[in-house]
Amino acid sequence: MRVLVVEDEKKTASFVRKALQAEGFAVDVCHNGEDALAAALATPFDGIVLDIMLPGRDGLSVLRQLRERKSTIPVLLLSARGEVNERVEGLDAGADDYLPKPFELAELVARVRALTRRGGENKSTVLRVADLTLDTVTHRAQRGGADIELTAREYRLLEFLMRSPGRLCGRMMILEKVWDYDFDPGTNLVDVYVRRLREKIDANFEPKLLHTVRGAGYALKEQP
Amino acid sequence: MTIRTRLTFWYAGILTASLVVIGFGTYREIDEQLRHAHRRAPEERAISETGEMVFRVGLPAILLGLLGGWWLTRRALSPVAELTEAIKKIHERNLREPLPRTGNGDELDRLTEVFNGMLARLDDSFSRTREFTLHASHELKTPLTVLCGETETALRDESLSPAERERAVSQLDELRRLARIVDGLTLLAKADAGQVALKLEPVRLDELVRDNFADAQILAEPHGIQVELAVCEEVSVRGDRHRLRQLLLNLADNAVKYNQPQGRVTMRLRRANGAAEFTITNTGAGIPPEVLPRVFDRFFRGDPAHSPTVDGCGLGLSIVQWIVSAHGGSITIKSEPSKLTTVTMHLPLETK
Repeated sequence: MRVLVVEDEKKTASFVRKALQAEGFAVDVCHNGEDALAAALATPFDGIVLDIMLPGRDGLSVLRQLRERKSTIPVLLLSARGEVNERVEGLDAGADDYLPKPFELAELVARVRALTRRGGENKSTVLRVADLTLDTVTHRAQRGGADIELTAREYRLLEFLMRSPGRLCGRMMILEKVWDYDFDPGTNLVDVYVRRLREKIDANFEPKLLHTVRGAGYALKEQP
Repeated sequence: MTIRTRLTFWYAGILTASLVVIGFGTYREIDEQLRHAHRRAPEERAISETGEMVFRVGLPAILLGLLGGWWLTRRALSPVAELTEAIKKIHERNLREPLPRTGNGDELDRLTEVFNGMLARLDDSFSRTREFTLHASHELKTPLTVLCGETETALRDESLSPAERERAVSQLDELRRLARIVDGLTLLAKADAGQVALKLEPVRLDELVRDNFADAQILAEPHGIQVELAVCEEVSVRGDRHRLRQLLLNLADNAVKYNQPQGRVTMRLRRANGAAEFTITNTGAGIPPEVLPRVFDRFFRGDPAHSPTVDGCGLGLSIVQWIVSAHGGSITIKSEPSKLTTVTMHLPLETK
């Protein structure tokens, strides 16, 4: 997987590159819009992380140019402005995802993964991690053959985590996908829900599946 | 006494004085004529004739004068009344709209012109402050991104000792708190500048409240707090779904945070006086009356001694207040120390 990171702020570009490389991505970096457009048109990247505020041609303009030229490269927009309006504007311009600054690195990595795997998502109606299963049609959750009662929200949370097993999911991403919140409510809602879900799916079972990655987020996986 | 009444009285005084002068003149004239006509003139006749004349001619003249004076001052002063009404409507957000001018170049027109000049200067300095806050919060985001990112990168290092890891995690927590403050600040600065557009649509408020009730129960559980949804009538409002959810979650979060262990939170949603009325009541230490009017102020936290363990960005209620007023609603808070604290919110119903 090869991704292009377009970010004029050198330090940000550097840690984003490192984080993505650590996840096994090949990463190219551009510091301005013109170079980014040229690079994106010349190389078949699997995804682009595109900052909106760039010297010269800004990120939105790069994105529009790409889409005008029928490029379908998945694009994750970054913006320091971080308001709903910009999110809408960005998605309208053809972005696949949007992340306001300051973002959590784990969040960014998780989103880039989701972006580059687009279409490859687990479409099966019964999700399975170890001996935990979730039927997305009947909303029935079972572990070790025993039924687990879930509230609607817990179900959505579990489904979200199970659709990307082994993947680190950041708090913002969970809030966005499970709660449909596009703001940070500044509460520990996610942590509390995860704790409850853990009691239901992990308390009486081994191995533990729902892991907390401190300072980053949560992951549902067999290995710790 | 208004200027108008005062002017009318003065005018009446002047009219009466001139009538006295005219009366006196007439008396002299009649007296003279009578003297000529009869050689010996009886003064009483002159007086009574003058009195009669003054009464017959003067009184209607005075009445007419008074009416005229009243009309004149009213006419002259109506621009002042209009100006007063227009000035009453001025607040922080419409400074840009100048007061209407008559354009006839009179004193009041000049006053309006000068006043408009003042408004423009005020608006200028207000927008400078707003822009400053907006720029400041934007400028903070880049270094914050770098700090958060580098701390997270450091955390990925497997060779960190548990103590170093603990320190990095704690730094990251604070950085994220800072990030939330900056986010809130940006939102409010933009709202002040009128740059946040609400996506208005018909919204079933009762559904949002039920949703929020479920979240509140989860938030309250670790503290042993009971949450109750006492009333939830079917109510539709015209609003921005995301903002309304943010608003409800903020209120619920506060009701849990500022509660006592084993306390209660009660929510009610109903129609009242042609509006949607949502109340949320919580037990807890309450808010002292002297700080109550300030709880919606930005970064206001009351007496830190009362809430030492509560964390938050200090902007939650300010954001709540903005969301409510952006929807044309109102919000009030009542509290009795050591008893109940109730937040009451009214939102206009959706009109089909």
